[in-house]
Amino acid sequence: MTTQKIAGLKKQFLEEIEKVTTVDALFELEKKYAGRKSEFNEILKNLKNLTPSERQAIGPLANNTKNEIAALIEAKRQALSGQQNLAEEKIDVTLPGQKQNIGHLNPISIVRAEIEDIFTGMGFEIADGPEVETDFYNFDALNIPADHPARDMQDTFFVKGENLTMRSQTSAVQARYMQLHKPPFRIIAPGKVFRNEATDATHEHTFYQFEALVVGEKVNVGNLKHVAEVFFSEFFQTDVKVRLRPSYFPFTEPSFEFDITCTMCGGTGCKGCRGGGWLELGGAGMVNQNVFVAAGYPRNKYQGFAWGFGFERLAMMKYKIDDVRLFHSGDLRFIKQF
Amino acid sequence: MKYSYNWLKELSGTKLSPEKAADVLTMHAFELEGLEKAGQEFEGVAVGKILEVKKHPNADKLQIARVDVGGAQPLRTGYGTPPLSTGEGDKDGLLIVCGAPNIAVGQKVPVALVGAKLPNGTEIKATEIRGEKSFGMLCAKDELGLGEDHSGILILDKSAKVGQPLAQYFGEADTVFEIKVLPDRAHDAMSHVGVAREMAALEGKKFDYDFDELKLSAKKSKKLSVVIKDKKLCPRYIGTVMENVEIKPSPEWMQDRLKTCGIKAINNVVDATNYVMLELGQPMHAFDAEQIQNHKNKKTEIVVRRAKDKEKLVLLDDSEIILDENDLLITNGETPLALAGIMGGKDSGINENTKTIVLEAANFHAINIRKSRSRLNIKTESSDRFEKDIDPNLAEKAMVRIIEILEHTANAKLEGVVDIYPNKIKPWKIKLDLEYVNSLLGENVTQKEIVKILNSINIHPTVQPNKVVCEIPTYRIDLKTQEDLIEEIGRLRGYEKIQPQALLEPVEPAKKNEQVFFERQLKNTLANFGFDEMYNYSFYSNRDAEICGLGGIKHYEIANPMNPDQELVRASLIPNLLKNVRQNLKHFESFNLFEIGRVYYPQNNQAEEKRMLVAASVLEKDKDADSFYSMKSAVENLLESLGIKGVAVSFAETKSAVAHPGRVAEVKIYNHAVGMISEVNPAVLAKYKITKRVAMAEIDLEKLLAVLPKTKKYHPINKFPSLTRDISMIVPETVTYGEIEKLTKKIGGQLIDSVSLFDFFKAKQSLAIRITLAAKDKTLESVEVEKVMEKIISSLEKELKVEVRK
Repeated sequence: MTTQKIAGLKKQFLEEIEKVTTVDALFELEKKYAGRKSEFNEILKNLKNLTPSERQAIGPLANNTKNEIAALIEAKRQALSGQQNLAEEKIDVTLPGQKQNIGHLNPISIVRAEIEDIFTGMGFEIADGPEVETDFYNFDALNIPADHPARDMQDTFFVKGENLTMRSQTSAVQARYMQLHKPPFRIIAPGKVFRNEATDATHEHTFYQFEALVVGEKVNVGNLKHVAEVFFSEFFQTDVKVRLRPSYFPFTEPSFEFDITCTMCGGTGCKGCRGGGWLELGGAGMVNQNVFVAAGYPRNKYQGFAWGFGFERLAMMKYKIDDVRLFHSGDLRFIKQF
Repeated sequence: MKYSYNWLKELSGTKLSPEKAADVLTMHAFELEGLEKAGQEFEGVAVGKILEVKKHPNADKLQIARVDVGGAQPLRTGYGTPPLSTGEGDKDGLLIVCGAPNIAVGQKVPVALVGAKLPNGTEIKATEIRGEKSFGMLCAKDELGLGEDHSGILILDKSAKVGQPLAQYFGEADTVFEIKVLPDRAHDAMSHVGVAREMAALEGKKFDYDFDELKLSAKKSKKLSVVIKDKKLCPRYIGTVMENVEIKPSPEWMQDRLKTCGIKAINNVVDATNYVMLELGQPMHAFDAEQIQNHKNKKTEIVVRRAKDKEKLVLLDDSEIILDENDLLITNGETPLALAGIMGGKDSGINENTKTIVLEAANFHAINIRKSRSRLNIKTESSDRFEKDIDPNLAEKAMVRIIEILEHTANAKLEGVVDIYPNKIKPWKIKLDLEYVNSLLGENVTQKEIVKILNSINIHPTVQPNKVVCEIPTYRIDLKTQEDLIEEIGRLRGYEKIQPQALLEPVEPAKKNEQVFFERQLKNTLANFGFDEMYNYSFYSNRDAEICGLGGIKHYEIANPMNPDQELVRASLIPNLLKNVRQNLKHFESFNLFEIGRVYYPQNNQAEEKRMLVAASVLEKDKDADSFYSMKSAVENLLESLGIKGVAVSFAETKSAVAHPGRVAEVKIYNHAVGMISEVNPAVLAKYKITKRVAMAEIDLEKLLAVLPKTKKYHPINKFPSLTRDISMIVPETVTYGEIEKLTKKIGGQLIDSVSLFDFFKAKQSLAIRITLAAKDKTLESVEVEKVMEKIISSLEKELKVEVRK
């Protein structure tokens, strides 16, 4: 009798659950078939009043059925809640994203990191020196003796009452490094430099340079050209040729002005290079023997090349920036573009 | 310096066009900064004479000129050009509307006729300007491509012939070369002969006129004596007396050349001194012999001596200068006549009545000239050359040339010469190792080629095995070493011939610069956290230092700052970053900024240089020190990214002049202070006119790098489950969260996995902490947990007097 009743209840349940379409209805159904006051619960409660043999016959059936019902209800609940909630949770995907600020590096930092990586890859060590520099390293060691015109007030910021200057070129690192290292070596020295110069769209009194210095016994002008061409080709991701023109710097002999093929037209001539096909980049040369001597090397034992280029110029070329003062402007409307 | 191409061409015999010659010079010798046509073809531009000037009836600033162009025919450009006859009476002159204020009746002016196309692109058409017809244009200098001047119409010489094409008026077209002569060649190349020598060498030509063989007349002057009191400051002085001088304008060709080179023509004597200076690079001076006569002894004597302290001299330009003992004077034995090598005196110069002159070709000590002229702030063509150091032998050549010129242009007669030259400079020798030439250039230049190149610049080497011995002409003061000669060979031969070649030295892994890569890592991490990078000047003002409480730090001062706002070398990154904040608040409501840079100050007589990181945050809204806590979290995250977290980091109350006294904490790592986080003191913000709260962090990067763990270490993940317990409490005002956390950890000991704040009501002084407990070797039993919790709670109650809610 009880067995039939259980079977009947199950059949009835299966019919009803089919019709359930809402979570509320399912809740009612659950109450009816699995609740504390449900018929089923009554049956289970009465099991203890049955004889052992009856209990053995009905017990497992009742329990299994109860579990089956519970499982079906749970499955139904999941099906229902899934359908409904997902539909209700439709959103406007075109609304803006939750704002997570992203910061930006100054383009000089970006360019500097690229350059450091290229040179590190070519076996160059990154060297460094102080920005407030002694007269010795900024001038004397670079073959600029006390009375040299390059020490004129208009070029350099001098520190009052001290034999100190705001270093006027990263070349000041040369003697510092050479005093501690023996050739052969290859280094770059990136850093901040200062010139007492009125500022405008193309001039800054504070800017960033990187010095390259390669010293060995047979380092020559051809090596300078090669290293420069490899570097600039990598930096601009295009085939760059280098052109040297005569120039003068106290710390190099011979000295060069340094041009590269225009990175926009490749040297055929365009607006960017004013039709000439070449872009002026900076100064270079073969290390003056007096510089080696000042650093403690014997005269004419070593040969080396050096150059100093401005990061600003390279960043301006790379990003088409037209005013050098922007780098130190602190203006987020500028910085946030990088 | 400006050079006349025609002059260079005459000297060097070049066959190259100005443009080509400019290219060759740039690639092999000197950089050309400009190339400007001195006489254009000026097609359609004629000399006109102004017959009448009247006001424009409808425009205040315009005038109408009637100009006689002597029947010069306008260019017909076809369609659209009205026939001239429609102009009102071209027989009586053309009517031309003109805006320039400097025209007057009788002047000769350049007239661009209808149809002319000017160098600046302007096409001249017959037109109507405010109702008045205009048949051409009167031209200013810039419109003719003759310079930058647009201040008025170019007024031509009175002698100009009306109707003459302008090109004829200007004579043969010249080209101005603006050449940047660098200090190493300023000794010889600030002259036409110097540059022409380069051109001749590059084209394999020889000079017609042998300047090197010029020899001074042996005729001793009977009228003049010369005494040099300081032979170091004046190694040579040649004085020459010329008589029967006729003062008049120089010949036109000479005036033209001076003009092309930017020097005003004055009279034949003064012009000759300038002409020789431009030709040879030797500055010269001419005195009126009568004016310089010593009135006491009636002798014409030149005495070169140092000035007395406070001695005065009125210069040619009427300025009075006060001298000191380092200045060198040309005197007549009594009164000063000229500031040696820099500028002549007012009273000793040439005037129209001058009959007898004393010419000076001297040599002065370069450094001394530079010191004098920079102290006195006078810069002249003469000082420009003397301060670069010139060859004393040049004085002789120059004197020969000027005598030769004045004999022609002033009918002057040489009376005699005095030459004081005690230490004669002779050519010197350099031994050049041929192997070194190729080793340095990275080329294989043959001995034959080397000899040929050296010969082309008047160095005539003697060949020896593997080397050449070079005798250097004395005007090449720059050639002192082998490398100097290698440069000559390299550039004259052409650097473009040198092939790029890989370094022979083996590549070894570059030693990593920790500091550089550490800073890069920090920058990238901060950018990922939403911080934008600032680059600031290394300078600020005394006021900045004061406002930011840095007044107590001794700063380096710049002796020659750009402006008073930049007189101190920064000892802190904070002032400039606060200025960045103020600036950006104009355009943004909230932002995070940082700068990594160096600060400098004197310490123990040495320059202390520290690398610092400073960050600033401004939030849109800041209720309960939100920006402070957001900055704190940023710092914690930054440290965690470097492998520093948990017990390693602590924050303690501290003081700082720039900080809000109640919102500032020292950042400690393993108990070493590395920096500070704070809210900026509102008083400081007010001085910078910043109206929002600003949180700031300052970290000493060297200190941070020193405590940085070298590697990160893995700790095994705990296999046993953890339990959490919350304690909610009311806290006395004096007790900090830090104390609560610290005590909890101390009492909980090994079993504490973490303590965190999960609820905080400032108003009610209430907070709740969540404690996570776990053991590393077993599953914790609740008895143990409850025991620990009881101990924690009772300690909190006893030691910190908190009231735990139960």
